[in-house]
Amino acid sequence: MTLTNFNYAVGDYCDELIAPDGTPRPHAARLVSYFDAMEPRELVERQRAANSTIADMGISFTVYSEGDNIDRAWPLDIIPRAMAGSEWDRVEEGLVQRLKALNLFIDDLYNDRRIIRDKVVPADIIDSSNNYLEACRGFSPRHGVWANVCGSDLVRDRDGTVYVLEDNLRVPSGVAYMLENRTVIKRVFPSLFGNLNIRSVAEYPTQLSAMLESIAPPERADSAEIVVLTPGIYNSAYFEHSLLARTMGAELVEGGDLTVGDDDCVYMHTIDGLRRVDTVYRRIDDTFMDPEAFRPDSMLGVPGLLRAWRAGKVGIANAPGSGVADDKVVYTYVPDIIRYYLGEDAIIPNVPTWRCSDPAHLDHVLANIADLVVKPANESGGYGMLVGPHATRADHEQFRRRLAADPRNYIAQPTLSLSTAPTLCGDVLEPRHLDLRPFILQGEDVSVTAGGLTRVALRKGSLVVNSSQGGGSKDTWIIEDAD
Amino acid sequence: MLSRAAERVYWSGRYLERAENTARIVQQYSQLLLDLPPEVGVDWRELIRIFGVADSFAARGADDDETAILQFLLAERDGACSLAYSVQMARENIRNTRDLLPQEAWENINELYRFTRDSLALAAAGENRFEVLAECIGRCQQINGILLGTMSYLSPHHFLTLGQSIERADMTSRIIDVAAAYIQKNEQLVRRYGSTLWTNVLKSVSGFQMYRQYQQPQVDGLRVIEFLLFDPAFPRAIRACIDSALESSEALPRSADTAASLKSVQHVLDSSVVSGMDAAGISALMDDLQKRLAGAHRSVAATWFL
Repeated sequence: MTLTNFNYAVGDYCDELIAPDGTPRPHAARLVSYFDAMEPRELVERQRAANSTIADMGISFTVYSEGDNIDRAWPLDIIPRAMAGSEWDRVEEGLVQRLKALNLFIDDLYNDRRIIRDKVVPADIIDSSNNYLEACRGFSPRHGVWANVCGSDLVRDRDGTVYVLEDNLRVPSGVAYMLENRTVIKRVFPSLFGNLNIRSVAEYPTQLSAMLESIAPPERADSAEIVVLTPGIYNSAYFEHSLLARTMGAELVEGGDLTVGDDDCVYMHTIDGLRRVDTVYRRIDDTFMDPEAFRPDSMLGVPGLLRAWRAGKVGIANAPGSGVADDKVVYTYVPDIIRYYLGEDAIIPNVPTWRCSDPAHLDHVLANIADLVVKPANESGGYGMLVGPHATRADHEQFRRRLAADPRNYIAQPTLSLSTAPTLCGDVLEPRHLDLRPFILQGEDVSVTAGGLTRVALRKGSLVVNSSQGGGSKDTWIIEDAD
Repeated sequence: MLSRAAERVYWSGRYLERAENTARIVQQYSQLLLDLPPEVGVDWRELIRIFGVADSFAARGADDDETAILQFLLAERDGACSLAYSVQMARENIRNTRDLLPQEAWENINELYRFTRDSLALAAAGENRFEVLAECIGRCQQINGILLGTMSYLSPHHFLTLGQSIERADMTSRIIDVAAAYIQKNEQLVRRYGSTLWTNVLKSVSGFQMYRQYQQPQVDGLRVIEFLLFDPAFPRAIRACIDSALESSEALPRSADTAASLKSVQHVLDSSVVSGMDAAGISALMDDLQKRLAGAHRSVAATWFL
């Protein structure tokens, strides 16, 4: 047995650090023995030190409608989540494969539509997608890549299999917390880093910056001016926008700071006058990006930005319209998409999913709703979903009606038994469910973060890991296998 | 530096300075009323005049007694004239430029904001007024100390100083304007209480000791006005404020227009002679200065802001 000081008992799930027999998993052996030698009092003290570091560093996230106090301290559990380097290498390959295929898919959709003609993906799925933008038709951004930044959510089921739960291709967030979690944990457990070979995550801002340079207009590549476009301080991810801009040495701009000239170039207003912008890393949604092309009521965007992009005068990451592949119905086709474009089998499997648009699938979902997780096709942040086993009969009934009324907009998946890891609860360690969001960058090249952001459901038994709904986080360690 | 960021930093400087000066003026005015007999004719409505907010106050149609006036100048959150509003705006601007300003400034403005939110309405009603205002002044000074003591001498620093200097010069001109009105109002009483009055004016800008070092020991009305207008060494004298604003603006790109309008203020100061002037003359001079300061602000905005 291990972690006896903390009364740790593995539950009926796959635990990331501890095997079912109570011994540490090989890759986590040194990590676990380090905590094993620790008194609960000391661990609680370290957690307190971590919390005050987080407060001092101002690591926060923003919650809507909290009145004056809009910043909350970022919740970080100090026990790291660890994976073996050899396992991660395979996951990384799978993530690269997936993003390459998805970008080929998006480029095809907005151009030749071969995949629809070949009847691999039905046309109506695309035509009825809220995220398909007609304004992007007949254009191909640099390198043919649309989704330059992808955050795919990974989960591990009871049998140890890692699945992709969803791909976030619009404006995925969380990477700043991955970076900050590592900084905090290094301060809290400096000696552990000396003893273990943990893959670094610190290159991310450099990689992001290189990717953004690679999508600037070719003639501007030498001295590309990059900006991060934020909706402003009230956005829940503002902390991240600001951190990424700062660490890349890029300007953090709002829509009003940018203007598109008669020459279709994008400029920002500075105290020196107008300065040309070559790549916009936009952190605002597609349709708010350009009131001239999309929502005329958007105060956040830049009139003419789409025009500038189509004229090849500016790179935009992610490209407008890339969200078409970030749709939970399209998700169900990803293994087919990979096979179609790359001629390969998907390395990381999808979670088995029922499409409610398919009448046979819908019948199955309606009959088994109490055992399933039902998700709307287009929401993010864990909103608007039903976790069957945790919901009331009235909830089931309400969702049955919604599904019958708008089947295209829903998918259903079995309730996964998400893996757990020891998490400090009071002064004991208890298993808590978690997922993992790695970040994949594709421009001229592709890169993947070593690990990513581990999100953990802090409430006992809960599967909801979103920070806006009581989730916390952990530092994620990819540990090189011992020779 | 982005134009928007420059604008916000500039306004952080202005609102912080305005908050501090509002607290100072109300503080000293409250003190003055305790020191002078009622027949000198000092009343609370003069405060409304000092701040140049007579119209917005009248538009409210409320009473013009002490509590209503102080409520308006200190606590009212919707009106653009109050100390609470200045603090709130300083906070909004600092919040939006956190990447450029020291973290401690953000923490301290938050504390000031929470403090003013809870205490200013009570201070307006007379409770702990001196303590509350003294704490506001102290906290503003603390934030200024953090900003000026830790920011590199680069563009954000220059915009902060520019906003602060222009606001401070404007406030000092208002204090002079109102004080000058007493010279003529009641000569006999002023002769008797003049020293109290002018000492008070100096204290409202923390200038009493500096004045003593600059001038002979007795506190004389015109000398005080000269000191507050022309002294290049006292940081709250208009001359020193303009010199500082000019220095900051010249450290920025494309500064010709702003420098020219600030130099026109300097020119007015250089060519004015206060001795022998009556209250109307002083008042006209202050109006002229205030208009030129507004002109300097306009050229700052036109050159560097969105």
